[in-house]
Amino acid sequence: MSARGGRCGAAGALLALLLPALPAQDVDALLADQGDPAALTDAGRELAGRGRAADAAKLWRKAAALAPDYFPALFNLGFMHYSAGRPKEAADWLAKAAEAGPRDFNAHYLLGSAHRQNGAREAALRAWRAALAIRPGHFKLMQVMAVEYGKGRYHKEAAELLRRALDLQPENENLYYLALSAYQQAGDYAGGLKLAARAAAKYPQSARANFEYAWHLQKDGRFDEGLPLLRKAMALDAGYEEPFFFYGDWLVKQARHEEALEFLEKAVAVRGDYIAARMSLARALMGLRRWERAVEVLNAAARIEPRHPQPRLLLSQVYFRLGERKKASAEKELSLRLRRRNPTFLEAAQTRPFPD
Amino acid sequence: MSISPATNFQAYAGPVNFQVKKSFPFVAFLAAAVFAAAASPANAQGVASSGSKPAPRVKASGLPWDAQFTDIAAEAGLDLRFTYGGETAKSYIIESNGSGAAFLDYDNDGRLDIFLVNGSTLEGFADGNAPTNRLYRNRGGSQFEDATQSAGLARSGWGSAVCAGDYDNDGALDLFVAYWGPDALYRNAGGGRFEEVAAATGVAGGGKQWSSGCTFVDYDRDGLLDLLVTQYQQFDPATAPPPGKASNCEWKGMPVYCGPRGLPFGNVTLYRNEGDGAFRDVSAAAGVRGVENYYAFTAAAADFDGDGWQDIYIACDSTPSIFFLNNGDGTFADFATETGLAFNEHGFEQGGMGIGVGDFDGDGLLDLIKTNFAGDYPNVYHHQEGGFFEDVVVRAGLAVNPQYVGWGVEYADLDNDGLQDVFQVNGHVYPELDRQTKVNETYKQSNLVYRNLGGGRFEDVTALSGPGLKIEKSSRGAAFGDFDDDGDVDVVAMNMADTASLLRNDLDNGNHWVRIELRGTQSNRAAIGAAVTIEAGGVRQTEAVLSQSSYVSHNDLRVHFGLGAAERVEGIAVRWPSGEVEEFPGAAGGRTLLLVEGSGEVAASP
Repeated sequence: MSARGGRCGAAGALLALLLPALPAQDVDALLADQGDPAALTDAGRELAGRGRAADAAKLWRKAAALAPDYFPALFNLGFMHYSAGRPKEAADWLAKAAEAGPRDFNAHYLLGSAHRQNGAREAALRAWRAALAIRPGHFKLMQVMAVEYGKGRYHKEAAELLRRALDLQPENENLYYLALSAYQQAGDYAGGLKLAARAAAKYPQSARANFEYAWHLQKDGRFDEGLPLLRKAMALDAGYEEPFFFYGDWLVKQARHEEALEFLEKAVAVRGDYIAARMSLARALMGLRRWERAVEVLNAAARIEPRHPQPRLLLSQVYFRLGERKKASAEKELSLRLRRRNPTFLEAAQTRPFPD
Repeated sequence: MSISPATNFQAYAGPVNFQVKKSFPFVAFLAAAVFAAAASPANAQGVASSGSKPAPRVKASGLPWDAQFTDIAAEAGLDLRFTYGGETAKSYIIESNGSGAAFLDYDNDGRLDIFLVNGSTLEGFADGNAPTNRLYRNRGGSQFEDATQSAGLARSGWGSAVCAGDYDNDGALDLFVAYWGPDALYRNAGGGRFEEVAAATGVAGGGKQWSSGCTFVDYDRDGLLDLLVTQYQQFDPATAPPPGKASNCEWKGMPVYCGPRGLPFGNVTLYRNEGDGAFRDVSAAAGVRGVENYYAFTAAAADFDGDGWQDIYIACDSTPSIFFLNNGDGTFADFATETGLAFNEHGFEQGGMGIGVGDFDGDGLLDLIKTNFAGDYPNVYHHQEGGFFEDVVVRAGLAVNPQYVGWGVEYADLDNDGLQDVFQVNGHVYPELDRQTKVNETYKQSNLVYRNLGGGRFEDVTALSGPGLKIEKSSRGAAFGDFDDDGDVDVVAMNMADTASLLRNDLDNGNHWVRIELRGTQSNRAAIGAAVTIEAGGVRQTEAVLSQSSYVSHNDLRVHFGLGAAERVEGIAVRWPSGEVEEFPGAAGGRTLLLVEGSGEVAASP
């Protein structure tokens, strides 16, 4: 854009030479007499560089008043407010800057950052979308956006962005798993399956890659195809709990409780705080009528995560089946109280489309 | 103002080298995102939904499926077009839930008649123009005539639920209709006439109370039907927030009407039949009023735990469900959580709507099925011994269609092979879905049929079930019964802003059947709450006589069993609402059998 330099000609250069000694009253004079937005902007930059931000702002505001679409003044005001921790004011100026300089990456990026600090996630993402359109290969911006899409439950958009990020860094293994998680949250199992197959082919010795592919095959109704991959994942890394939990939980769902025990015990041994695995293990034990052991597992889970309602809920069911109705009711009441206090434990986030 | 050097302030002058300043390790970022999502408040949506995706389908059995449904509502004379709030947009939840339907023989002519509950609009209607409920009398030959006026049932307003029972034991079925506002109890006076006696008998309720479900139930075994009424919420449009204007007013990013979450809870009321024509509110004494913070819908009463006393299961929307176990002393206690009936298998609350009761695995224990909101599977609650239930929906094969909002549902042997299948009616609650393209959901949805394969497994045979299953409407209540008396189970369904569906089952596979009508003597005369077990062809089957099930609807009180190749029933056992179990001898099928309590004899129903 033509105004980027903020050049102000000979008068401006002379002015800059005088600036180190420029007293406050001369700033006032400059404000009164100078009619060149570029000269004012450059003067303001020099002042800002010397820590006189308030005076700089006065000059930039004057410049903006003289030329409402003069990008350098608008951007500098926005940047200054942003840097000073005033994102609301920053967003106002940066929005004007982004409009005056629609191809300026920094203006859009910084506008998005200001919006994010203001709690306006969707506006932030819109600004970042504009920034990314200017620099489509900006990997770090993709990271930032994927996180915000996720927080806003815009999982489909997050998945698409991570897929693009993967095109930029195809050797980044972790990126595959992040993208797979996003696909999963978006409910796009077909897209996830393709990516999981790619990851498994690229990283055949990775337990995670094999597990992800097996998981997606199961979701595609091809559990039998996934089972060798699950077994391979278990063999590759006995310290990776997910394949053990997944297979054990699947066996519980098929009422194959006895078979499930080995795998769920292993998942819990590997990761002691894995509440979902402990719940599945308890279900297997309940299915086998091994009440005492189920109570042990559930009590352990309740100790590990005392805020979680689910161990208490299952304890209420075990005690009911043991005919201990008072104990069952007490556990139920505790479970319900925990549910009200910690609703997110037992609520699923609902994915939604990004509002264009 | 001061600008800290740490902020790295760099004024714009010339082509700057401004970059994204921070470097964000990816894994840390994802962890942060996941944590943030988990810690955010409950999704800004008004209804519980797990966001579940369809589970993998098992390979189709390839077996022939003979139940074929055709919608004959128009030719049969069911001309009511339901009114239920705005048709293309809804401002308040009162407009969304729809109403129930009933198959009943109100005039004792042996033919199933149809009663349809209607709604209203927020704007109301000029005098004389308000839509009313409808009673359609079965004239035979699959023809119905409107008998609403002559029967005295022409009431307008926001009707929701219907349940039937013979509360005065005079041999004629009475009707209770639940409303937002005063409820209605129609005593069947005989001669095809009803008289409204809710206020006179003490069961009218009223105010801002939105009654949503009901069931007649003899909870104290005195032979008289008592009445349980569920209230969905205390609803007042003057205080309810408008669409999108509060939390709980969003569906997948789309502003929609608010609730049920965030709106005032309803409660449960139990009326005891005093035997003198009046009912007494015993909610507090019986322990049902102490159960709070629920949005309750359909209520189904039966002796679920087999102890001889009637229990009550209530589907609740976005709260745990309620399972009242009868203590046998005039009181109930809620054991839904303890028995596995409150939540799904992962402990999530669900948007529960309808309830089906049956015995899908032939073990003689009553199983349940509950329909839920979109993004959740139905709950297939398998009854294990000891009154404990396990949700086996994934294993059973019914976790394949979570895109539907399920309402009416029933276990019914649709092809008479001796195994109880599942019929589920569906319809979304947000008509606004039809004006957008981002969310892959529609207001009108097809219904679903699952064939029972035996061994506790089902398969989706919707596509094989005839033209009636290809129709998409936004359905709510559904009732089940053999209206054309041809030996198979038909369905009538309520549809939002549309006419009803009368789905005639044109089964022609040669399988045999039997229908059983019960008459109580010690128990209530209609034998509501009884459970019937038969053995035929080496297969045991159990059905319950229910005053309400499906979604706030009422099925034919005569229970229907498919017999497969067996031409006769080898034996029958009835667990009467009195708590007594009585055995009856075998009999030939292909007809309706009448079993009178205490007689020990099987007679052909007149």
